[in-house]
Amino acid sequence: MFIEHRMKYLKVLFICVTVISLVGCKKLIEVDGPVTSLSSANIYDNDATATSVVTGIYTNLSLPGFQSGGLTSLSYLTGLSADELTLNKSNSDILLKSYYLNKLGSQLAGFEFWNNIYPTIYVTNSVIEGISSSKGLSESVRKQLLGEAKFMRAFCFFYLVNLYGDVPLVLNTDYKVNAQISRTNKELVWQQIVKDLEEAQDLLNVNYLDATLTKIVNERVRPTKGAATALLARAYLYNKDWQHAEKSSGELLNNSLYKLANIDDVFKMNNQEAIWQIPPVSNGINTQDAAAFIILPGGGLTSTPVYLSENLLNSFDAGDSRKTHWINNITLNEITYFYAYKYKIPTSGDPNALVFEYSTIFRLAEQYLIRAEARIQQNKIAEGIDDLNMIRSRATDRNSSPSAQLKILPKNLSKADALIAVKKERFCEFFTEWGHRWLDLKRTGDVDSVMEEEVPKKITGGSWKSYQQYYPLPVRDLLKDRNLIQNQGY
Amino acid sequence: MYKFYTRKFGIPRLLYHKILLIMRLTTVILIASLLQVSAAGFAQKITLSQRNTSLEAVLKEIRKQSGYDYYYDSKIISEDQKVNVFVKDATIDQTLKELFTGLPLVYEIEGKMISIKKKEPSFLENVVNTFVDINVSGRVVDADGRGLPGASVSVKGKGKEVSTGANGSFYLKGVDEDAVLVISFIGYVPKEVTAVKELGDVVLELSNSKLDEVQVIAYGTTTQRLSTGNVTTIKADVIEKQPVNNPLLALQGRVPGLFIEQATGFAGTGIKVRIQGQNSIINGNDPLYVIDGIPFTSQLLQGTNPIVGYTENNPGNPLNFINPADIESIDVLKDADATSIYGSRAANGAILITTKKGKSGDITINANLQDGWGRVARKLDLMDAHQYLEMRKEALTNDGATEYAPGPYGDNDLNGNWDNTRSTDWQKELIGGVAKYTDLQASISGGSNNVSFLAGAGYHKEGNVMPGKFTDTKGSIHFSINGSSLNQKFKIQLSGSYLQDKNLLPNEDLTSVAMTLAPVAPKLLNENGNLNWQPDNDGNTTFFSNPMGIIFEKNLNKTSNLIGNSTLSYQVIPELDIRSSFGYTNLQSNTLSNYGSGFYWPESLPYLIRATTFGNSNVSSWLVEPQLNFHHPIWKGNLEVLIGGTIQREGRNASSINASGFATDQVMEDIMSATSLLSNYSVNSTYRYNALFGRINYNLFDKYIVNVTARRDGSSRFGKENLFHNFGAIGVAWIFSEEKFVKDRFGFISFGKIRGSYGTTGNDKILDYQFLSLYNPIGVSKPYQGAIGYQPAGLTNPYLQWEESKKIQFGLDLGFFKDRLLLNVNYSQNRSSNQLLNLGLPIVTGFYGIAANFEAKVENSGWEFTLSSTNLVDKDFKWISSINLTIPKNRLLAYPDYKESPASLYVIGQSLNIQRKFHLTGLEPTTGLYQFSDHNGNLTSSPVYDLDNSVTFTTDPRFYGGLQNTLTYKNFQLDLLFQFTKQIAQNNSLGASSSPPGAYNSGFGNQLVLILNRWQKPGDIATIQKYNADYNLYGSYYNAYFNSDANWGDASYIRLKNLSFSWQIPQKWKSATHLRNCKLYAQGQNLLTITNYLGLDPESKNSLRLPPLRVITIGVQIGL
Repeated sequence: MFIEHRMKYLKVLFICVTVISLVGCKKLIEVDGPVTSLSSANIYDNDATATSVVTGIYTNLSLPGFQSGGLTSLSYLTGLSADELTLNKSNSDILLKSYYLNKLGSQLAGFEFWNNIYPTIYVTNSVIEGISSSKGLSESVRKQLLGEAKFMRAFCFFYLVNLYGDVPLVLNTDYKVNAQISRTNKELVWQQIVKDLEEAQDLLNVNYLDATLTKIVNERVRPTKGAATALLARAYLYNKDWQHAEKSSGELLNNSLYKLANIDDVFKMNNQEAIWQIPPVSNGINTQDAAAFIILPGGGLTSTPVYLSENLLNSFDAGDSRKTHWINNITLNEITYFYAYKYKIPTSGDPNALVFEYSTIFRLAEQYLIRAEARIQQNKIAEGIDDLNMIRSRATDRNSSPSAQLKILPKNLSKADALIAVKKERFCEFFTEWGHRWLDLKRTGDVDSVMEEEVPKKITGGSWKSYQQYYPLPVRDLLKDRNLIQNQGY
Repeated sequence: MYKFYTRKFGIPRLLYHKILLIMRLTTVILIASLLQVSAAGFAQKITLSQRNTSLEAVLKEIRKQSGYDYYYDSKIISEDQKVNVFVKDATIDQTLKELFTGLPLVYEIEGKMISIKKKEPSFLENVVNTFVDINVSGRVVDADGRGLPGASVSVKGKGKEVSTGANGSFYLKGVDEDAVLVISFIGYVPKEVTAVKELGDVVLELSNSKLDEVQVIAYGTTTQRLSTGNVTTIKADVIEKQPVNNPLLALQGRVPGLFIEQATGFAGTGIKVRIQGQNSIINGNDPLYVIDGIPFTSQLLQGTNPIVGYTENNPGNPLNFINPADIESIDVLKDADATSIYGSRAANGAILITTKKGKSGDITINANLQDGWGRVARKLDLMDAHQYLEMRKEALTNDGATEYAPGPYGDNDLNGNWDNTRSTDWQKELIGGVAKYTDLQASISGGSNNVSFLAGAGYHKEGNVMPGKFTDTKGSIHFSINGSSLNQKFKIQLSGSYLQDKNLLPNEDLTSVAMTLAPVAPKLLNENGNLNWQPDNDGNTTFFSNPMGIIFEKNLNKTSNLIGNSTLSYQVIPELDIRSSFGYTNLQSNTLSNYGSGFYWPESLPYLIRATTFGNSNVSSWLVEPQLNFHHPIWKGNLEVLIGGTIQREGRNASSINASGFATDQVMEDIMSATSLLSNYSVNSTYRYNALFGRINYNLFDKYIVNVTARRDGSSRFGKENLFHNFGAIGVAWIFSEEKFVKDRFGFISFGKIRGSYGTTGNDKILDYQFLSLYNPIGVSKPYQGAIGYQPAGLTNPYLQWEESKKIQFGLDLGFFKDRLLLNVNYSQNRSSNQLLNLGLPIVTGFYGIAANFEAKVENSGWEFTLSSTNLVDKDFKWISSINLTIPKNRLLAYPDYKESPASLYVIGQSLNIQRKFHLTGLEPTTGLYQFSDHNGNLTSSPVYDLDNSVTFTTDPRFYGGLQNTLTYKNFQLDLLFQFTKQIAQNNSLGASSSPPGAYNSGFGNQLVLILNRWQKPGDIATIQKYNADYNLYGSYYNAYFNSDANWGDASYIRLKNLSFSWQIPQKWKSATHLRNCKLYAQGQNLLTITNYLGLDPESKNSLRLPPLRVITIGVQIGL
């Protein structure tokens, strides 16, 4: 009896030990990530998943609306800040009104780009870190992705530094460090942009690749070496490094992949002028540009409350077919409104509607104008005028009578006149495109003179103050990170 | 078989042998029991009532009734041996056992022959007889003669104790002759008997005292008498008196410390459940639900129709898929002593649901049929057409408008598009209907000593007060089987339930429409049954949001809930049980939602894209809990030890697809007919949980009790650096009424206990995978280059940890006058720290924040009182009442850097539910606009948020409770439950903030009659600012008013929550109809509400939501 009991106790003890060892086992409560997500532990170990993160950046670039303060809304919000767009008077949207009247504030509006661009920089940094430490990627994919990430990081910082001045140069994903970061001098940010782009040039493929990064395709929707060169040329231009600007833009202008397109094809998908475009990611839509700018009889100014400013409309010379081909108008209640018509296909209710247009980020025309300016600045005025005339002749209707055609610029202009011609040409060519006008005003130092004239037109009694050329930082970041200092004036 | 079983035990390789064996054994037991049951059911029944009759005469009578014959030596039965015997409908075996108890005779049945012999003393008995000590043998039985296994038999004053074994028999060695044995069993009145060798059957009477009712606690049972923790139990008889569709609603007003609020009056409503307050600042505050030992989800996944209202973060409530009729008891565990053994899951308390089990005995069939009607109990006093038009015209005049805006988007109510002479009571039209209520339940149960079973089925259907056929239908089945081996050592319990719910509620709650739609709005339907779009003279739609659109909507939610569990136990030695429970739950829901083309106004039809949303969600979990139970007398008390482990997995899956492009309305439920599919979301998560737990309970003389519990938990919800954590609690109780000095001096105190407990619990109700650095797909309809892009979900914190609650409780339980008056007082103080919050980060880090544990601390303290009294007991009349009261207090004790965080909402030292509002001083007499006082006490018309909102108060209830009365007169019984809450709530949520009184608001601008008291001209004394239609003019004043104290007020109420009146038909009618039980009853829920609240309902506190309905039912309960 006693022995039998002892045996039972032993057995029970055995069970206890088994249970305890089971329960104490870490393995039993560790879980793999859910199948609906990928984890940083392995996402960069595989070509396809690593690529999907970078593709995610472009997806998000294409996704948000034009008023969101995402990168794509540069065309819209900076257009309001500058002298390109007029906001319908009865519109009461605080965000739009603030940009339009240049009355931004750290608790009001102006920091949307800051809030939207830094998360993208986080992704580029995590891609760069992830790929640098990964061993599972094929060499060609590794290079291309690293190049795309560096290009995108430079692209992000380019706009940050232009919109906000000195900005924190966040180059890693360590939130503990970044939560206390201070603003970096503009010069250093520019240096980083140039460095990233030069590296991206080396890493990126010359040809356009598909989503697997293995096949060459006609779709011009992934950044290439050309895209990196285009942004690099622009960066040199903004830094008055005329020599390098001329060289970089020249590389693209000599590349047989790119040619100026017919005036009606410039914004079509995969046209020969396009260097980088973003396709729509939602059914029924071609471009958000069309959705934001085209005023339709049904929606009127309620749906699309902006139209082109007098100032812009008056800038076109006679015979400039850009004014007729890229601008359209509508008459509502007996008033005619002109709107940007570069993108012509409005959003359709049909989810299966075909796509003909892609939103264009970089195109060859800009490289002509970069080289024109760089050459003129280096006193190669005639060569610069040649470049300008390339753009002007494309904007000419060859079928109309010669007197009605856009005039070719004479090669004997003075340097000052030639530079004025460049500015004007840029205004007419790039209106409502990616903030060109707002950024040009600032980099050329014209912003105060132009805006002082422009702001009173926007609102009676309105006045311009120079600090308004930089947008404010969000108050939230200023509170969370005591090392950040607000832009002057706000 | 048994030998084989133990010999192989613990050898994993042969595990399957064991399983096979158990299965075989189960089958055998099942078959045997079924056979036995049927035998019992049809055997000859004997009824005897003989007093002081000769044994011989009795035997003859038995022969007459049963047909059994006898064989015995005539010498052993003497002529003058007189016996008493009373049996009714008994089997031959029961009859003979009854007859021979106490006689020196034994009997044996062989076929139809009974042989009777003289009883021979056993060898053992002969030996024992020679000593002075005696060995006592006997059997502890209940009033029906069924053995009570596990009852305790102890020698008074000696500490010697045994437990009864199978059939309730016991054998106690070496007892002094004439010693007193104390025989006790949970739920029964303890009995003292003088020791004799042959004690025979000792009958224990069921205790009538509430103190001795069984309470289910974590991994065991106790009673209120012996408990060291704070537990409240609600039994089936209370639940079944209430026509509710969710068992939680049956607890309302009955449990101190438990606050329950129904979000809406829809079937499947969300429910707010708080046990002793809100512990967590932003994470889950739902209690842990445990059904028959298996944890059940406290939140549904996405997909449930939001109009039913929310339970914390998700709409609906998972316990809606439990049939209340299947429930035997609900135990609410509040303090650390009761909950600490659930470790990381029990910071918010635990609610244990025990389903009905079969009882051995003859087969019984119960049926309960109930039919009823639900209605909205209260209407708001809204403007009629005359008052409304007056308001609108005055508003436009005030705004300086010179004409009524023309056209379909203009002022349709005034510009001639709508018929101004109409005046509709939209409350009557849209939510004035009757919600039909039908509930049918049937069950069958029975069994023998070794096997018992129960099987039940239910049908429940609820209609809706809105026009249209929006029903909620539930069908359910439930079964339970208990089996034990002949020697009662091996036991198995198996139970399961399955419920399917089909909910067709539309996506819109018409209550908000009923409250705001202009009384002059057009009729809803045309003569041909289509929606009336009230076209203007040009044929343009003017009635854009016709509420009857819901009849063209299909919104189906099919949910099924499967719960299965089993417990196997084996008694290794009398002191030691090993057991393991196994459980599985699966909650699956499929949803479909679309709008037919009749829903859309004609102008939009050309652009119509027909779309249907298909969704499904699933929460399933399994659990294994091996346990060891050991009990043994140590010194003069009794020690019980429990050791166990838990292994649990929970998987959650959900997805939703938007299908569009259907050619016609008819094919919209067929996903194949869609031209385009887009995934809305997909969820897939796994939660793993392991634990080791233990409990030591030492009970000395039933006077001093110590209870220690501990748990070590590991959960996959936490960071790699913090996977495990320990929890523990200690509870002590002193039953001072057992002390001699109390008994001597305070005889009127029949029971007195002081108890206290201290311990820790955790809260792991946070999202899964918060510690992992995940990348989620970006859902788009046209992926970039045809490839799905991924993006990071957030920053990673590998140090994430539980929120921890430290709980202190003190309790005093007193019983007076033989427990006729019971008082229970409880004080609790729970402090929750290590709060898991979002640490705000500058966006330059890439994200707005990261989940992190904060040294924020929340305190919930409170007093709970319960007073139960048997006021009157008479032969025919009985009156019992009970009142409970809870006075809670919630305070935020600490919050680091709270000025910078979202916590600027909070104030240290105040409740988490604090409201900070402007103070409205009145109207500016000349302009008729609202005025407020600013932070300096000066008047301002534009108060600044975060600066001038100086009035603070909390929405927490100041106190709440219930008063219950049960009156019984002969066969009649009346139950009344009044529930009361003292609180503050928003008066009026009618106007959305963009719709000041006087605005058209697309036709949804009606207001309360109260609003008539407005300013019209300088010098007016009024409460409401001048009417105004254009929000841009005075909207900011109106907004500030909305955020001022004037919009909040007393929402205290007393509600006749439940009334139940029943009549049991007289015994002779039952006999005539062969019914065991027949009861007719009427029940009502939310019958009467006394309140000063200005809104629709002080419980749902939202005038735009359907309030809890007044439900009245009649029914009949039949037992066969």
